Formats: sequence, structure tokens, C-alpha cells
Amino acid sequence: MAPPQLVQGYKELQKVFISGNLQQTGVLLTKLKIGLTEAGLFVPYGNPDPQDLVLARDVLEVGAFWSIRTKDIPSFDRYFSQLQTFYNDYSSILPPSPREYPLRGLNLIRLLTQNRIADFHTTLESLPLPADSLTANPYIAHPINLEQWLMEGSYSKVWNAREEAPTEEYKFFVDSLMGTIRNEIAGCEEAAYDSLPLKDAATLLFFKSQNELLTFAQQRGWQVDLTAGKITFAKKTEEKVEIPKERLISANLQYARELEQIV
Amino acid sequence: MADVEMKPVDEKKEEKKEEKPAEEKKSAPLTPVAEIKGNVALIERAVSTLEPRFTHRVLRSLTHLRKKLNDKVLQDAVHEVYRIDSPSKKALLVWLPDTSADHSMDIDPATAPSKQTPSEPLPEVEIYFRLLILHHLLTSPANYPKATRLAHETVEKIQALNRRSMDPIAAKVWYAVERAYELGGELADARPLFLAAQRTAALRHDDETEASLINRILRSYLQYSLYDQADKLVSKTSFPAAAGNPQHARYHYYLGRIKAVQLNYTAAHTNLQQAIRRAPPAKTAPGFYQAVHKLSIVVELLMGDIPERSLFRHPVLEEALAGYFEIVKAVRNGSLSQFQSTLSRYAAQFETDKTYTLIVRLRQNVIKTGIRRLSLSYSRISLRDICVKLHLDSEEDAEYIVGKAIRDGVIEGRIVHEKGWMECGGQKSGYGPEVSDVFSRRIAYCLELHNQSVKAMRYPLNAHRKELAAAEGAREREKELAKEIQEGGDLDDEGPDLGEGF
Repeated sequence: MAPPQLVQGYKELQKVFISGNLQQTGVLLTKLKIGLTEAGLFVPYGNPDPQDLVLARDVLEVGAFWSIRTKDIPSFDRYFSQLQTFYNDYSSILPPSPREYPLRGLNLIRLLTQNRIADFHTTLESLPLPADSLTANPYIAHPINLEQWLMEGSYSKVWNAREEAPTEEYKFFVDSLMGTIRNEIAGCEEAAYDSLPLKDAATLLFFKSQNELLTFAQQRGWQVDLTAGKITFAKKTEEKVEIPKERLISANLQYARELEQIV
Repeated sequence: MADVEMKPVDEKKEEKKEEKPAEEKKSAPLTPVAEIKGNVALIERAVSTLEPRFTHRVLRSLTHLRKKLNDKVLQDAVHEVYRIDSPSKKALLVWLPDTSADHSMDIDPATAPSKQTPSEPLPEVEIYFRLLILHHLLTSPANYPKATRLAHETVEKIQALNRRSMDPIAAKVWYAVERAYELGGELADARPLFLAAQRTAALRHDDETEASLINRILRSYLQYSLYDQADKLVSKTSFPAAAGNPQHARYHYYLGRIKAVQLNYTAAHTNLQQAIRRAPPAKTAPGFYQAVHKLSIVVELLMGDIPERSLFRHPVLEEALAGYFEIVKAVRNGSLSQFQSTLSRYAAQFETDKTYTLIVRLRQNVIKTGIRRLSLSYSRISLRDICVKLHLDSEEDAEYIVGKAIRDGVIEGRIVHEKGWMECGGQKSGYGPEVSDVFSRRIAYCLELHNQSVKAMRYPLNAHRKELAAAEGAREREKELAKEIQEGGDLDDEGPDLGEGF
């Protein structure tokens, strides 16, 4: 059974977290983590009491949400990987947590914003849900839709969906997601246009003011013509393709050698 | 391309066919008991001559022998092979119901005088019997717990004996262990057991068992969708190159699965091709053949290729691939609505095949194919028309999508924003250094295939002596011939050299 001061601390944490005091929550979390380690619940082993496990899981879940509210992504990463034990290995003895899917969804969005698409799909594949009911879960459907739109290039849909986040915490990722999208769009524009009017460029890149656009253009090294109100993209000159002589010669020698072996 | 790819499979088929009739001629008229006895003799021969080939032959007959097993057959076989009472005989009989015990006692003395070999059979034989009993127990659900117990005991015995001549049988036993756990519904519990055994097998250079175990573990990971762990296992272990073809085929299939999930489609495709080539012929193992092809079609689509149509007419695949055929058609036409309706119609099938999430990823390929078709047929097309033709939601979307397609190199062209249209550039000429790359890749593949097949040939012991003698004789004759020619006056300096070549 968990020590009473741990239960006490846990109750306090719940209260403080709901009131929204981030600093206090952080302090309490550190204390509780030490308490959990002493009780052997932080990284559970053996056969601990399910009730204690639920307590440990709740503390970690609060920690994960808290990390996002304080915008500390590496800390979220740590909390989430610890929670994986509870979600995967103890799923048979613990009652399911109402916060499990919001957190899993957040983790997916985190992978998306960091452009780790392969990890995103691996995680998606290992969700304990049947594949065709994934879209029925609002927390999981959100990142899935985002990924699909990003991949096919419907950036405006991503932009519009940023307000439809299923929980508050999802919005914390919106900013970095927007950064990813802008860079993607800018890359596309460089390839697809010769020139673009400033006003249209601003709408395409979802900028509200021209100043924002100008600083962005400077970062990417675009030529801005203010009098004509146009952005011209530096055309990549067609580089001349050299014939890879040496490689061809060595390949041919290799064939000769192999043929000699055969005959 | 198709020709080259199909060949290995054909070759294998022929090889199998050659062996089959020989085996069947022997075994067809035999009763199962006699067949088991024949197999026992083969195993004994394998152990005494140190030729694992005979054991492999025994194990190949396992599939069809398995169907003929029953309590009585097994009991009779045990009694016939073990003539004297011994601890291992008792241990084996414990696992079989006693109902017909006195019945088999009648047979025992009747056959005993025919051959008097009161020596104790080899431990390999005992393990073989255990394997047969295991397979038999697994046919009825009531016996699953019993099978698991037997599996444990057998595995312990194998590890205690630690005999290299037992390895091929041991590998099969591990398969039975997995089945026992899986049918009992506790596959995850067997993982620590497999991992420990895999370590031991690797240390003992027991290639067959190690290969079998790696596949067992991978399968158990993938069953529970633990792709991370599976990937780590693959990177930490090296699959023994000496393992048999079926194990290789399985391994490549699992690798293909993992790589496909990780979006590494090219690697996945290579692995799946390997799996197809190494798989047993379609008629022998239709399940595996179908599963690999399902996955391989989806991966090919994801890579932007369209699978060949003839594949869908293959007698074994035709029915199983019906849903996939529809998907391929939708992707080929670049029609999003057709794709969506097919996806929802066959959702349940894709879900059981575990390809659903992969197929969902195809959506963007459908759009890309659509854009490519448009860019080929129009030199200039308005964004509005693209939107209508591809069933996109808005012109804005169309602009982004076309922009992305241009950046990804799907099409050549420009967007003229002021006029709201897309101008399609001319096609790149298809001849450049990349052609030689593709060409050299194919040549490398053919050479590799040749070298591999040379390596795979089996050379009987001491047979080269005979050949040497024959060659010696030929050379002798050659010399005589050369001498005659020389004496005949037609001088030819290259004469003796020519003889050397033979």
C-alpha cells in the first residue's frame, strides 16, 4: 500500500493542477516523483497493488499535461515513455484511464510537428485499437487527419483545423505546427512559381501583416520587389549533367571480371 | 523484368517436383506407422553419417504425415520403435491416452520377432516422436494445456541434450511450441522463453533453431503490433545465412512489414520480393503466398508503381486479392471517390489482413496519379478544373496540392497565380545516367543470382575423384589424338593446350 503522505501529496497535486497553478504543480510533481521512487512505483516492477499503480499513473499523466502547458516538450517525452508501461503492459489489470487517448493523441501530434513521420506511423500502428475505428476516436482522428492533409498538401485544411482541437493542450502544438507548414509551403512556392504578388503570398502563407511576410521572405532569401509588389523566386539554373565516366568504367571492368569467372 | 523475377520460383518448383515423386513412390502405399518407422530409420542414418539432409527429408514429410496422425498410430509407432521398456518409452506414452494400451500389446509380440534390434533408439528419435505427439495434441482444443506442458518438457530435454544432429528437429519443435502458446491464447507469455532460447542457440551456432526462434519472436511482436521492439530485435540480431529457405522467406516477410510501417517502401519492397522468391510454391503454401502478395501490392502502390495485371489472374491469388484489385484500379484511375468507396467496402478484409492503415496512406498517391494524368493530357489547365476533376474541396487546396506535386517532382510545370492556372512543362527525356544505374542494378542482380546458385549446388563427397579420373582419361585420349595429328603432319601448336581445357 502506498504511504499516506504520498496519497496526501497526490490529492494536493490534483487540486493545484485543476486550479491551474503551474509553478506549484511543478514543485509538487518533483516531490511526488521522489515519493513514488521510494515506494517502488515510479518504474513499477513485480506485482504492485493495482490501486497504487493507478495513483502512479495519474501522477505521471498530470506531469505530461503539465509539461505541455509549460511548453517543455522533452519533459513530455519522458513522462509519456514512462506512461507507456502503464498503458501497454499493465492494461489487463488496470482500469482504462480517461486521459490515455488524449495523451496518445498529443504524442502523435508531437511526432508530427517534429516531422518524424516514420515514428508517427509506427506509433499509430501500435495503438491498441482496430484500424478502421481509429477515426471514431476524436483524440486520435485529429492527428490522423492532420497528417493526411499535410501529406497530400491541403495546407489550408490544416490551418482551419487548428481551432478544432479536441482538448486545450492540442493548441500548444499549433504554433510549431504552423512553422512546419509555412516552411513546407515556402518550399512548394519556390518550386512552383516564377513570381508571386505580395498580397497573395501573404494569404498563401497565412500571414496577417506584410511585415511578417517580409521578415519571412528575408529568412528564405527571396527577392522582394516592393514597388511592383512582387516576390521573385530565384530560378534554379539547370545544372549540366556530367557523364559519370569513372563509375561506368569501373562497372564495366567489374562485369568483365564476373564474366571471366563464369566462362 | 517479369521473366527474370519469375525464374527462381519456377526453378524451385521443378526442384520440388523432382523430389516429390521419389518420396511419394515410397510413402504412398505405406501406412502412417510404417512411414514413421521409415522416418526413424532415416533419422538414425542422418545421425550416423552426419548428414543433416536426411533429417530434412523426414521433416519435409511432416506436413502430410500430420494429417494422418491419431492416438493409435502414434502408440503403435512408439511400441514398434521402442522394443524394450525404457524411461523414454514411458515418458512418451504418458502423453497418449491409455485406452488402446492392451490392443497395441497384441501387435507388439507379433511384429517383434521379425527384426531383433533391442538397442535403445537415439534421442533424436525420441524428440521426433515428441514433435509428432505435439502436432497431434494441437489438433483438438481440449489438449492445448497438455500440449503446452509437453512442449516445455521437450524444450528442456533438447537443451539438456545439446546435440548438433538434433538441431533441425529442434527448430520444428520450437514452431510447435509457438503454436501451443498461440492456440492457448497466451503468445505474449512465450516471449521470454523464446528470447532466452534464441540467445542459447546463437551461442551454440545452432543456425536452424536460431532462425526459427528469431521468426517466432518477430511474429509474436508483430501480432501485438510492437513494431518498435521488432525493429530493435532486427537491428540487434543477424539472421543466420545458413538457415533454410522457408525461414528466410518468413524473415523477409516480417522485415517487409516492419519497413512498410516505417515508410521505408523501397527496402520493404526488396524484402517482400525476396520473401516471394524464397517462398514454397503457391500450391503448397497458399496462405503465405497470398499474405506476401497482399502486402507487396500495397507497398508497390505506395512506391508509385502499379502491380502487374497478370498477378490478379493467378489461380491461387485471384479470389484473395479481389479487394486489392479494386484498390489498384482506383489508384490507376486517380479517382478519389472510387478509392474511398472501395476502402469502405473492403474495410473489414483489409483490417484482418492488417493492411488497412497502409492503404489509407495511399490517398495521397491517388491524388498524385490524378495530377500526373492531367499534366500529361493538358498543356495548361485552370485550378478550378483540377478541383472539379479530382474531387478536391476548394481551389485553394488545389493550388497547394499542385505546388507540392511540383516540388516533389511528380510533375513538371509552373503555377501562374495571377491567371489561376497551371502550365505543364515538357516531359524530361527518359535517357540519362539514371538509365545506366537501373541497368547496372539489374546486371548486379543477375550476377548475384548466378553466384548464389553456384554456391547453393551440392557436391557429393569424393565424387570429384571420379570426375578427376574421367578427366584424366579424356586428357590421355586428347594427347593420343594430338600425337596422331602431329604424326599425321598437320602441325598445330594449340593442340595440347586445347586438351588442358577439358
